[in-house]
Amino acid sequence: MKNRFDAIVVGAGPAGSSAALTMARAGLDVALLERGTFPGEKNMFGGVLHRLTALEDVFPEFWDQAPWERHIVKKNLTFMTQGSSFSVSFDNEAADRPPYNGYTIFRPKFDNWLALQAVKAGATLLTRSTVDNVILEGGKIAGVRLLRDDAELRAPVVIAADGVLSFTAAKAGLRQGKFKPDNQGVCIKALIDMPKAVIDDRFGLVREQGASNEIVGNTAGVRGGTFLYTNYDSLSLGMVLELGSMIKSDKTPYDLLNNLIEQPQVAKLLRGGKLLEYSAHLVPKGGYDMLPQLVGDGIMVAGDAAALCIVTGLNLEGINLASQSGVLAGKAAIAAHQRRDFSKASLSSYQRMLEDSYVLKDLKMYRRTPQMLHNDRIYSQYPDLVCSVMDEIYRIDGQPKETMTKLLLRKVKEKVGLKNVLADVYSGWRAL
Amino acid sequence: MKINLDEIFDYTSFQVDRDPHIKLDETVCQKCDQRACTTCCPAACYTWDDENQKMTFVHDGCLECGTCYVVCQKDAFTRWRYPRGGYGVAFRMT
Repeated sequence: MKNRFDAIVVGAGPAGSSAALTMARAGLDVALLERGTFPGEKNMFGGVLHRLTALEDVFPEFWDQAPWERHIVKKNLTFMTQGSSFSVSFDNEAADRPPYNGYTIFRPKFDNWLALQAVKAGATLLTRSTVDNVILEGGKIAGVRLLRDDAELRAPVVIAADGVLSFTAAKAGLRQGKFKPDNQGVCIKALIDMPKAVIDDRFGLVREQGASNEIVGNTAGVRGGTFLYTNYDSLSLGMVLELGSMIKSDKTPYDLLNNLIEQPQVAKLLRGGKLLEYSAHLVPKGGYDMLPQLVGDGIMVAGDAAALCIVTGLNLEGINLASQSGVLAGKAAIAAHQRRDFSKASLSSYQRMLEDSYVLKDLKMYRRTPQMLHNDRIYSQYPDLVCSVMDEIYRIDGQPKETMTKLLLRKVKEKVGLKNVLADVYSGWRAL
Repeated sequence: MKINLDEIFDYTSFQVDRDPHIKLDETVCQKCDQRACTTCCPAACYTWDDENQKMTFVHDGCLECGTCYVVCQKDAFTRWRYPRGGYGVAFRMT
């Protein structure tokens, strides 16, 4: 097996394949390592891929080439209790034509396609290759050692795109200490079989239009949220649950998901559906303050490995940030080859390009959001407040009505407390 | 429809490696007062037997999500790595 390359990319997910594609197109000899039998085999996420602006130079008609399920035209936000739900729905005609704003995708298909584009550009894809350690020479990273026949691969630059736990970044000394459970969410997901015509009818869709629904509440007080996305002929129903909060709860992730499946409004949408697959993965949701060092001598970190993820409750961004960071890491590696300098100082152009891009700008802007989302009231008291106000507004029971102001004040005092609401509105405003 | 983890092998595919990718020093778990792994693991790989004061970990249905690695407060792992290439969970659609 050939073991010397111009660059090694650990992980053939969206960050790694974007990096490999960028470098291979510039003529570098790239090894793209994947621990699965094919790229995407080990990868899961909620299900909505946002527009990938980073790859639009390479694939101007991305939507005609990439394998996707449906394009999202309808975004719903729901506040839910055990028996009721209040939804806001935004159905947007502008999102019904290319460039589409987002798609539902399957990772085993999409990641495989993206890695194949890197291979077509000249990258060498090595599957079944789990990285066991980095090779350190003279204080700089000189390659990686595989968990297979003690094989060593060498390159002057390594890009760690090996996902949320990134042992490659840790072994290179770029991430120290333990992960904080408050900064990680576990995403669990049930893929549910349903005929296309049934999905179209239930969600009010035609052609390849898709809907996404983010649900707050009904998580037994655990900090987290639920998502329900439409694929072509299946649904993705899942939750992201913060581990710090899960540790304190006696509930299991699958108990919470089963409880949600039985919620009457959810049950109606799922009726007749059959479970096809169950999956889980961590989400680095701590935002800007949990970022590891992004650059070292001979190494850069991209995607989830670098915790480049934005969880605001309204948007869950990850793959778009991963792909953008992969492209930028690739560009930095190309520039380093031109300079023949792979030191930390030389590779720091990656950090600067990230800071100039929307990736770190957005992460900085949403820096306070993770702390704001640590507020337990969001996950039980507020959904309860919203649904209970709606219940009284619509209820006709022979009693004289209160004014709206009186009703709201009474409910706020009863469910959350006036002081709490004022404090939460202030911190929410600052965080979003 | 319900998630029943006893049937996980009916809906999610695995190529189980005989050599586990995660190993545990169970004596550490005996001293743990939290054992968050038993409730946080989405595949129920960890079970605590209160009567015999024994932790059991089975790696066969591990989804490789990383939850146990983050929630364990006692550093009970003597090995925590991803399976050898080609082994472990294999998602088909998801």
